[in-house]
Amino acid sequence: MGAYLIKRFFLMFPTLLGVALVTFLLIRVIPGDVVELRYSGDRGSVSQEVIDKERARVGLDQPVWKQLATWLVGLAKLDFGTSMWTGAPIWEEIELRFALSLQVAVMATVIAVLLALPLGVLAALKQDTWVDYVIRIFSIAGLAVPSFWLGIVFILVLLVFFQWLPPMVYTPFWQNPWENMAQLIWPALAVGYRYSAVSTRMTRSAMLEVLREDYIRTAKAKGLWQSLVLRRHALKNAMLPVMTVVGVEFAFLIGGLVVTEQVFNLNGLGLLFVQAVAHRDYTLLQALVMLVAGIFIFMNFLLDVAFAWLDPRVRYA
Amino acid sequence: MSELVVGLEVPSRGSRLRAACGDFIRRRPLGAIGAAVILLMFAAALTAPLISPYDPVQVHFAAMLAPPSAEHWLGTDSFGRDVLSRLIYGSQTALIVGFGASLLGATIGALIGVASAYFGGRIDLLLQRFMDVLLSFPLIILALALVAILGNSIPNLIVAIMIPMVPRCALVIRSSALSIREMPYVDAARAAGFTHSRIILRHMLPNVMATYLVMLTAFLGQAILLEASLSFLGLGVQEPLPAWGLMLRGAAVEFAETAPWMAIFPGVAISLAVFAFNLFGDSLRDALDPRLRTQ
Repeated sequence: MGAYLIKRFFLMFPTLLGVALVTFLLIRVIPGDVVELRYSGDRGSVSQEVIDKERARVGLDQPVWKQLATWLVGLAKLDFGTSMWTGAPIWEEIELRFALSLQVAVMATVIAVLLALPLGVLAALKQDTWVDYVIRIFSIAGLAVPSFWLGIVFILVLLVFFQWLPPMVYTPFWQNPWENMAQLIWPALAVGYRYSAVSTRMTRSAMLEVLREDYIRTAKAKGLWQSLVLRRHALKNAMLPVMTVVGVEFAFLIGGLVVTEQVFNLNGLGLLFVQAVAHRDYTLLQALVMLVAGIFIFMNFLLDVAFAWLDPRVRYA
Repeated sequence: MSELVVGLEVPSRGSRLRAACGDFIRRRPLGAIGAAVILLMFAAALTAPLISPYDPVQVHFAAMLAPPSAEHWLGTDSFGRDVLSRLIYGSQTALIVGFGASLLGATIGALIGVASAYFGGRIDLLLQRFMDVLLSFPLIILALALVAILGNSIPNLIVAIMIPMVPRCALVIRSSALSIREMPYVDAARAAGFTHSRIILRHMLPNVMATYLVMLTAFLGQAILLEASLSFLGLGVQEPLPAWGLMLRGAAVEFAETAPWMAIFPGVAISLAVFAFNLFGDSLRDALDPRLRTQ
């Protein structure tokens, strides 16, 4: 187990390096740069000298390989540098927004799991009955309804039927939990529906597979209570693939809220990402993408560790 | 030998297809409903100029934000454009981008997956590492970055949506191609001295067809959703072209209280289309390959 974990741990780094390279190159192919954009408003009136000076200030006058080297060295020290657009340290730019996106992602995960487990198990137990069909349609619809549109519908319903709008300004949870929840519960529900749909489908199919196993029949045949067989024998084994889906979706949600944040006017990582693209803020973009991809890669590592811990077959393979 | 066949009814290709379709409808009613909605969407897209009551881009300031009525069944938007006509024309955009991106993405992914499995060794390792890297980016983030690089015309949009799908398809196809590589007929083809490309294209690719089709239908809905998301952000299809995601942008949210039809109907259209593709895709998966019943 120890050797496997160490190997798996170090396997993260080539992927991270690959992500860093792809990110760096992709971003530099985007036409235009931050200096050009900053002065695009008063084109012509700015002398070449000023532009060159600004380029030198943000480090764009360096050859590309040098920029890459500087960034990689910074990355290794977990130092993302400063934003090319605002000049502020990137950690500062990201901190609060990360907290917001993380909170929405955590809330959406809670909603998704609370819905998915009972629905998925129920659908599997009642396979091919009307209960199964209703749950399946509910979850296929969850994959189809765009979360940003669901957000619009929530706002509309709150406005028309309750004459109430969620607060527009973000309040950290520890300052005023009530105010904070009143704002963030809606985006969490909007993305949570899709998330729960994915997890419900996985729970259902994993349960169906496990319920066909011999040991379930044995457990039933020896007269164990149905609920005990379900919890101890079936659900425990069906949880592994469900965990993967939940984990991966969670990792992607942190950066993938882009569109939903727009609807609710949330100042999260997604909005920051869209702004960074608009400003060609290379350093901020690189940091954001690395952060999101890094979380995903680390989540996969955690899942593998959890699998090895929970499932002896993985451990000894 | 040929006498043995005499007297047996050999069904023609057409009637076999018809029988298969009938079987599909009877055994998978949900999938058949999905297929019906998809056909309806195709019909709407193809006959858009004939069936839409108004010009989708014609601005009518006299009829701004008109509620649904006999004249404008689904109302008009903030430019006085007929919502129903824009929805009908929007199905063209959704289908072009949806099919374009998912066909390209699934095909390129399948080729990479099969090649990766066939060659094995170092090529496989390199390709897989690269796919791992691409997989680490959330779908929407990668597509957004690509749109920023390429600019937002429809072909560029298709490419931007297609690329994040390639590694997802390659991963699945590779694992089913790995078992095919060990089949005797691939060995035989190799022994016969066929070229690599011939073995990959003629012997391996046809045998991952079921998986390919399943991935393709799953991507269709995702591509339509992604296009709607990008257009909603203002990074996809541009005005005045009618697209469902675009119709939800800006004024639709601003006037949501006074003109809710602007915000509701395009969303219903997106959901219905993706729902239909998913319903059909699910049934197709179950029909083609029960082993793929993982999600």
